[in-house]
Amino acid sequence: MRRSSIRALAVPGVLVLLVVLVALAAPILPLADPVRQDVANRLSGPSAGHWLGQDEYGRDVLSRIIWGARVSLTVAAVAAALAAIVGTLLGILGGYFRGLVELVTVRVAEIVLCFPPLLLALLVVTLLGPGAGTLVFSLAILFAPGFARVAYAETLSARALDYVTAQQALGARTRRILFLTLLPNIAPPLIVQFSLTVAAAMVLESGLSFLGLGVVPPSPSWGLMIRGARASMEQAPLLLFWPCLALTGTVLVLNLLCDRLRDVLDPRGKAAGRPGFLGRLIALPPAPAPRQAPGLLTVDGLTLSVPGPKGPIEVVRDVGFTLAPGETLAIVGESGSGKTLTGLTVMGLLPAAVKPVAGSILFTGRDGRVRDLLRLPEPEMRSLRGRDLAMIFQDPSSSLNPLLRIGSQLAETLRAHGVRNGVRDRVIGLLRQVGLPDPERAADAYPHEISGGQRQRVMIAAAIANGPRLLLADEPTTALDVTVQAQILALLADLKRAEGGMGMAFVTHNLAVVGEIADRVLVMYAGEVVEEGPVADVFAAPRHPYTAALIASMPEGDAERLTAIPGAVPQPWAMPAGCRFAPRCTLAAEACRATAPALTEVAPGRSSRCLRWKEVA
Amino acid sequence: MNAPQDALVRGEGITRAFHRRGGLFSRGTPMLALRGVDIAVKRGEAVGVVGESGCGKSTLGRVMLRLLPPTDGRVLFEGEDLATLPAARLRALRRRMQLVFQDPYGSLDPRRTVGAQIADGMVIHGLATGAEAAERVPALLRQVGLDPDHAKRLPHEFSGGQRQRIAVARALSTQPDFIVADEPVSALDVSIQAQVVNLLADLRAELGLALMFISHDLHVVRHLCDRVVVMYLGRVMEEGSAAEIFRAPAHPYTRALLAATPSLRHRGAAAAPLAGEVPSIARPPSGCVFRTRCAFAQPRCAEAVPTLESLPGAGARRIACHRAAELP
Repeated sequence: MRRSSIRALAVPGVLVLLVVLVALAAPILPLADPVRQDVANRLSGPSAGHWLGQDEYGRDVLSRIIWGARVSLTVAAVAAALAAIVGTLLGILGGYFRGLVELVTVRVAEIVLCFPPLLLALLVVTLLGPGAGTLVFSLAILFAPGFARVAYAETLSARALDYVTAQQALGARTRRILFLTLLPNIAPPLIVQFSLTVAAAMVLESGLSFLGLGVVPPSPSWGLMIRGARASMEQAPLLLFWPCLALTGTVLVLNLLCDRLRDVLDPRGKAAGRPGFLGRLIALPPAPAPRQAPGLLTVDGLTLSVPGPKGPIEVVRDVGFTLAPGETLAIVGESGSGKTLTGLTVMGLLPAAVKPVAGSILFTGRDGRVRDLLRLPEPEMRSLRGRDLAMIFQDPSSSLNPLLRIGSQLAETLRAHGVRNGVRDRVIGLLRQVGLPDPERAADAYPHEISGGQRQRVMIAAAIANGPRLLLADEPTTALDVTVQAQILALLADLKRAEGGMGMAFVTHNLAVVGEIADRVLVMYAGEVVEEGPVADVFAAPRHPYTAALIASMPEGDAERLTAIPGAVPQPWAMPAGCRFAPRCTLAAEACRATAPALTEVAPGRSSRCLRWKEVA
Repeated sequence: MNAPQDALVRGEGITRAFHRRGGLFSRGTPMLALRGVDIAVKRGEAVGVVGESGCGKSTLGRVMLRLLPPTDGRVLFEGEDLATLPAARLRALRRRMQLVFQDPYGSLDPRRTVGAQIADGMVIHGLATGAEAAERVPALLRQVGLDPDHAKRLPHEFSGGQRQRIAVARALSTQPDFIVADEPVSALDVSIQAQVVNLLADLRAELGLALMFISHDLHVVRHLCDRVVVMYLGRVMEEGSAAEIFRAPAHPYTRALLAATPSLRHRGAAAAPLAGEVPSIARPPSGCVFRTRCAFAQPRCAEAVPTLESLPGAGARRIACHRAAELP
């Protein structure tokens, strides 16, 4: 076990241990007899002889709480454990085998839920007679279906996962799959369920004891104490307070332990929290004076950072590019290159954890005004979004609201930017423009009724609804089949021809797609721009080793072996000191590892971040 | 049905139906993910199965390993029908056939060390005791190009490409003869993709594995495979040697698929994209399933299902098209 796990479990673990030890030690502690009555001093307050006072029969409260803990804790813990074992077994079997097994396990367990709990308990007591054993038995029956349901639901979602199928493919026996693969992975919600059940069992124990179905007076139990104190609540409120405190405290400590246990058992650790609102208020440094007249979009020196365990990490560093009206720029890179973050920054849609720390994004709107999008207040940004700036996302199925008809989602986009009349006609016109067959019917359809390619067409229709100046497409064809991808690329090319002056930034990882659609290409690696230039030139003669390697690793041509780039993209928190590509570069020299190269112009309109660009073949 | 006798694994007339959720007593509409598919993989051969989503290629992979039973047809492993084998025999046979998944993030148990997961196969099949298996893990890690000291780590500490290597190591641990790789590189970055494709090619050459490589990327298949099977809506459209199919695709669907695949070499030269989309398998077109999108479709294509037949003049190549002889 890791040291951090031990630390996380230490406090709640010690507290639970303390409660258990005190309860166990009751016979050897110098306590008054918990059942000895002293009616003369009934309801008297705390005194030297009776630290917590005396109850309605003059019995010592402290002694009764500690002795009662034995009964309450044992009953609750044993009942919860029994319920957990039986319920989990039923649920996991039902969820894994489905069919008839599901019927006789989970469904039968659920029948128990149909009975009122007290009625069921009465039935059990009538059959078995009152006592702690009966109490445990009836509580276990009551709580087992809860475990069965949770285990069943978790098993259902886990059994379809690849690593479970992998075990089957390896030839593992069912028993091994159930207990070695499924059980550990469905455990976290069951652990939470367990802590809730122990708490609920303690409370229910009090109710059943009160009815004479569980612990029989005068033996102490927290439930009996609460019930007894209720009658004299007005004269001696503290009598109610002590058992309640014991019950609440124990339940809280138990919950804490189970929560920590669940976190410790998760190998990925706790998700890092997002920084608060105040963290985002840190002002950006003032924008540098623009180096050149902005075209449609000029991004300059953009740097984004996320908080890391050892200070902020720059995930995007000094990214700059320009986009002229009517031009298509492809931003290419692998995962972790910062291409998507760059796109989201332009739209003002960065996740909360990512903060821009330097740079400027100058954008010329439809009104001819130049704005710095990085410093624009949110209300103004919102009025630009969907009108001057539009975006298409990768996954068309999650970008549409499943509960709204397609027509109304498009109409909403139009209305949000002031279109009032003839909205329906405009919607139909847009759907026709993006090539949906039968646009009237499509407008009345729900997103799940049309295919993935058609959903992407709808997203494109929404994006161009208000005639944007800049269209940002983030991997718009990655989730689609190649034949549909070809259709969408053709559609985007048509739209650009039709909407004169609309610029497009196309984020993708696929170089071949770049060749199909873009005029210029920006290659990113590990958060930096490594090469920029016209597509034809860059592909014909790359001036950065990474671009060259990417092109070479495309599975095309007749070469027997693919040219792979060794190693992997460095993690943002462990960037090499010099050139970020140097560890994987075949051309890397000492100088490359020592100094980070700057982006230099290698030809008119072309730049490369490489010290040895002249040698890139 | 004169498949060569030396086929290691052979699927004959495989049909697989899925049922849409019906009521309590009705089974719902059957959807045929596979319809009468014949496929054979010889020892040491790499067969590529290509097609778009919904063509049944992943289902075929799982049927070949009997992770799903076929609704009709049979799968023979060295001539033995997997369906008639007793459960224990089948489990023992699983040592010799393995699966590599598409998603390297979902195919490894997040709660167990990669070493334990690689050792699983050896322990399950009694090839080694726990301790012996653990001793062999470093060698397997080295074989797939990973640091042998990483056995104690958990899957989340690895990148996508490294995880896929771990999944390959797990599949190799039982020294299988047959591996089904279901889109093993499509979730990976281009530069990493090449690493994994090369790894599979090397392992195949070294160990003489029979490989069924399922992919939607024609270019990758071309690099790795000897033969290619092109599928569409649960049926085989065309099969033949990889080199031949890429040099001169015969079936209209294969041609369209190749033309639609963007390529650095033939930029902008793509023909008009294929119209429409793959129909739903719940309502497949009558006759030839591809006819709704085919540029060469004629009325007779709607009437009868074309059978897979040898292309005149090209021995090993077979295509399922009524107009095979007339295509330009």
